[in-house]
Amino acid sequence: MMAPVPAVRQFPAPVLRRLRRQAARTGVYLLVSANIAVLLLPIAWMASTALKPRSEVFLVPPVWIPVHPTLAGFAALLSGHILTFFENSLIVASGSALLATCCGALTAYGLARISFRGGDAVLIMFLAAMAFPVPLLMISMYTLFGSLGLLDTYLALILANAVVALPVVVWLLKGFFDSLPVEVEEAAFIDGASVLQTLLRVVFPMSRPGLAAAAIFVFVTSWNEFAFGLTFTSSTDMRPLPAGISLLFLQEFQYQWPEMMAVAIVATLPILLLFLLFQRNFVEGVTTGAVKG
Amino acid sequence: MSASLMRQPLMLALLFLPSGCLVGVLLIYPLVNGVWLGFTDASPLNRSLHFVGLANFIDLLTDPKFWEVLWNSAFLIVTSIVLSTLLGFVVALMLTSGIRLVGLFRTAVFQVWLVPWIAVAILWGLIFNSDYGIVNFVLIDVGVLGHPQKWLADPVLAQLVIISAFTWRQIPFMMVVALAALQGIPGEVIEAAAIDGAGYARQLVHIVLPLVRNVMTVVALLQAVRLFQEITLPWVLTHGGPINATTTLSLYAYKIAFERWDFGMASAVGTIWLLLLAGFALIYVRLLVARR
Repeated sequence: MMAPVPAVRQFPAPVLRRLRRQAARTGVYLLVSANIAVLLLPIAWMASTALKPRSEVFLVPPVWIPVHPTLAGFAALLSGHILTFFENSLIVASGSALLATCCGALTAYGLARISFRGGDAVLIMFLAAMAFPVPLLMISMYTLFGSLGLLDTYLALILANAVVALPVVVWLLKGFFDSLPVEVEEAAFIDGASVLQTLLRVVFPMSRPGLAAAAIFVFVTSWNEFAFGLTFTSSTDMRPLPAGISLLFLQEFQYQWPEMMAVAIVATLPILLLFLLFQRNFVEGVTTGAVKG
Repeated sequence: MSASLMRQPLMLALLFLPSGCLVGVLLIYPLVNGVWLGFTDASPLNRSLHFVGLANFIDLLTDPKFWEVLWNSAFLIVTSIVLSTLLGFVVALMLTSGIRLVGLFRTAVFQVWLVPWIAVAILWGLIFNSDYGIVNFVLIDVGVLGHPQKWLADPVLAQLVIISAFTWRQIPFMMVVALAALQGIPGEVIEAAAIDGAGYARQLVHIVLPLVRNVMTVVALLQAVRLFQEITLPWVLTHGGPINATTTLSLYAYKIAFERWDFGMASAVGTIWLLLLAGFALIYVRLLVARR
């Protein structure tokens, strides 16, 4: 499209031109590969360290590829709290993805199909809500959860994560529903389906990519979330991964780098899995909140 | 559709009530209540709370530490966003230079974005370790450093560590957005310019940049807002130190609220943060209107 091919001057010979173009192409490939290699270097180092026996971690000069690779770092995780943290994170992230996507889809549909005065204002408020200072919100959430007896429960974490992600979900799905042909819904409606039936049998099935993108977005942000897990839970067994790792693991396994890198990899795996399964929806989900704005 | 929906109050309730309740109770109420608490001495450690007027705000605005935190967060986030936008754009530019395997390269770059913040924090702790970290080793090896640095113990170096992590984690995102924007430019536009004799540099400056500038600015702004909320990295790596060098505004508010349990003061910080956001939003809207 816009290949940085140097302008060919006096040599119109097609062979020469092709050679030059190929040389330039090869250069670009090399440049791109080198850049990406540098970007991925930290991840490679994470994987390499996770597979090292402890004796190879502190060597100078460093060992890039483990000489005697071992899974001992991963095995050490099986006996500790990490599995509990992992399970907690799975429950919280799935729960908030489900809650935020369901509520968000209904509201987004309403906003997309009903034109009423102030509809734009509602949308803009949703956009602004993405920027609300989370620590400020957490103060009242903490008091509220405390008086409802919800502190140290999954529900507190699910509610907090869902509500923070909800504005993005509404924003994303409203755009999606806007792009659907209304005629299909009207046809179903004329055929005698109720609004609810139309919604469940026609609209949502058609919107699977959008719903998937939204759910993935919520799952990923909840999986990453740190402050809620740190504050709204107090017993070790209720901590999600980020809070659990930072409070317990960093002390328990301090300087045991193979174990620490193993836990970093384990924490990345569900996100990687989601990405591999739903690549297209995934990228859309995590970037749309930013792009549509 | 609209009309038939409007005639069904139950359906309307189903559409709007669940989100309405969630947002009302857990977003709007905490926001409004938070602003109110900024004018009180609220704390879970006290039984009662008292209205203290502007005392919290005056304390904050006359505290040099607060200004330091404000400046540090702006520096950390603006630098990271500018760097990651530029680098992400350059990578995207390379990917749209007519090479194949764009999808594969994009996927490879995007792996970085998949790494959760907590994993980035631990990983950065390893590679910037002062005794056996790979960064010290490589920088000494190539002659940039004479002796190992204690990265997390020096204010400026610690800021660099945080910026490097923010930037690294943010590049893939910016790249994906830039790639989409660049791929959206119709090929004819570029071809026409090429036929008119515009070289690569001129095409870039006069055609490509103006076409993607708006999208990139919006995304950079929104990502800056999001990065402002990110506390995992400074909390785990430096806990905001040394001497507040890596304390972002959100970490500052968080620490006041949930380590000092001074809800009143933390709410005042949050309220000032809101005011700053409103100011930026206003400037942004003005700019948008002016451009039209």
